[in-house]
Amino acid sequence: MRIKHHPILDFPEKPKVTFFFEGQPLEGYEGEPIAAALHAAGIRVLRYSPELHRPRGFFCAIGNCSSCLMEVDGVPNVRVCMEKLRAGMQVRRQRGKGDIRATH
Amino acid sequence: MRDRADVVIIGGGINGVCAAYHLCKRGVRKVIVVEKDYLAAGSTGRCGAGVRHQWGAEMNVRLAREAIAQYERADEELGYPGGIEFKQKGYLLLAYTDKQVEQFKRNVSLQKSMGIPVDFLTPEEAREIVPHLNIEGLMGATFCPKDGHINPFKATDAYARAARRLGAEIRLRTRVTGIKTRAGRVTGVVTTAGEIDAPVVINTAGPWSREVGLMAGVDIPVYPQRHQILVTEPVDPNLQGPMVMSFHHNLYCQQTPHGSFIMGIGDPDEPKNHDYGSTWQFLEEMARKICWLLPVLKGLRIVRQWAGSYENSPDAHPIICEVSELKGFYVATGFSGHGFMLAPVAGLILSQLITGEKPTLPAERLGLERFQTGELNIEPAVV
Repeated sequence: MRIKHHPILDFPEKPKVTFFFEGQPLEGYEGEPIAAALHAAGIRVLRYSPELHRPRGFFCAIGNCSSCLMEVDGVPNVRVCMEKLRAGMQVRRQRGKGDIRATH
Repeated sequence: MRDRADVVIIGGGINGVCAAYHLCKRGVRKVIVVEKDYLAAGSTGRCGAGVRHQWGAEMNVRLAREAIAQYERADEELGYPGGIEFKQKGYLLLAYTDKQVEQFKRNVSLQKSMGIPVDFLTPEEAREIVPHLNIEGLMGATFCPKDGHINPFKATDAYARAARRLGAEIRLRTRVTGIKTRAGRVTGVVTTAGEIDAPVVINTAGPWSREVGLMAGVDIPVYPQRHQILVTEPVDPNLQGPMVMSFHHNLYCQQTPHGSFIMGIGDPDEPKNHDYGSTWQFLEEMARKICWLLPVLKGLRIVRQWAGSYENSPDAHPIICEVSELKGFYVATGFSGHGFMLAPVAGLILSQLITGEKPTLPAERLGLERFQTGELNIEPAVV
C-alpha cells in the first residue's frame, strides 16, 4: 500500500532500487525511509523486544520510540523510520540491544 | 500541627534513608525523614552510580569496605524484590604519568594491606579487561573486581522501604525552614508542614547541608559544586565490565546492567553553587574524550544529559559527627562526590553515635574538629 495522491504533499517518482531483508531481495524507492519500503512489502515485524522477545513493528514513525530499531549493514539500533533507503542495503530484524563491537 | 520524634533526619537521599534504616534497626522508635522534594531528588539520583574500594587514603578505604559489604548483602537484608542492581565487575583506574603510577602503586599496597583484592596492571593487562580500551600513552592501571555499579534509585527505595517497615516515617515535599535550639541543645525543626520536636536532628542534606547547618548556627565547611553527566542509548550489556576512570582526563565511564553507558567529567572550573544546568561544552568535551579512550562508543546516541552537585569538604573525606557546640545535632556530609557509595557506613556510624554504641570505625577522625587542628589527610583519588 502506498499513498499516490495527497492533498498537500507531492510524491515525485524516485528510482526503484533493490535491497535485502533477512537476505531476501526486495524493491523500494531510493531515499524513502527503509520502514516505508518494508511496510509496502508487507513486512510488519521489525525487531524483537530485548526483555520479553516480543515482536515490535512500525509505531511512532518520527525517530522517537525505538520500536523500529533494526540492523542495517551490520549496524544495530538503526531507526528505519528515519534512515533513507539505498541500493544494496542489508536490513535485518534486531534481537537484543545490539552488539556495537562488530561495527568498529 | 506539632509533632514529636526521637530523631529527625533532614534530607531524603541515600544518606538520609540509610541513617533512618540503621537507627530503626537499633531500636530507635520514632524516626522522621523530612525531604523537600522526593526521595533521591538531589545528588543521589544524579550520581554516577559507582562504588569503589580504590582510594588513596586509609580512612576512605575503610569506609568503602564497610559500605560495599553492606551493599553486597542489601538485597537479602532489605528484602528488596528485583535487587539494587549491584553489578560487581570492578573499576579500572588509568595512570598516564610517572607521578600517577607512583601514587597508584602506593594506593595498591595500602589497599592490599587492608584486604582489598586489587592489582597494578600493565597497559596490555588493562586491555584484557576492557578490550576496546585505547592504551595510547597509558603507563599502567589498577583493577579491583569488587568495585562496581549500583542503581541509586533502587538502593534509596530499598533502604527507605526497609526503614518504613521498621517504623520510620518519610515526609516528602516538606522543607525544613528552621532548626530549634535551647541552651546549646537542638530541640527540633520547623518545616513547611509544621514543627517537629526532637532531641536529635541529623543533617544529611548533601549540597544543601551548609545552609541547613547555618539554620542551627553551625558553619560546616562544605560547598556544592556542579558535576555534569550523560547517558547513552542501551546496547548489549556485556560490552564493558568495569567502570573505567582516568584522573588524568578527569573522567569516568561505565556500562549499566541495562546496557546504557553513564559517563561524566570532573571540571574544577564548574560553578560552586546549586546550579543544575547542562552545557554544550560538557557534551562536546565528554564525547571527544570518551571516543578517544573507548573508540567503540563512537556513534552511540546520547539520550540524556544532566547535572548534580558534589558537596566538597576540605580534605575530600566525609564529615560524620555530632556537632560539639550543639548537642543532639549530627551531620553526615562532605562526601565530596562519594555520598552514594559511602551511605551505608555513614548511616551505621550515625546510628551507633546516637544510640551510644561504640562505632565500628574510628569515627573520631571524621569530626569537624579536624578542620581546626589543621592536620588534614587529603584524599588524592577524586574525579
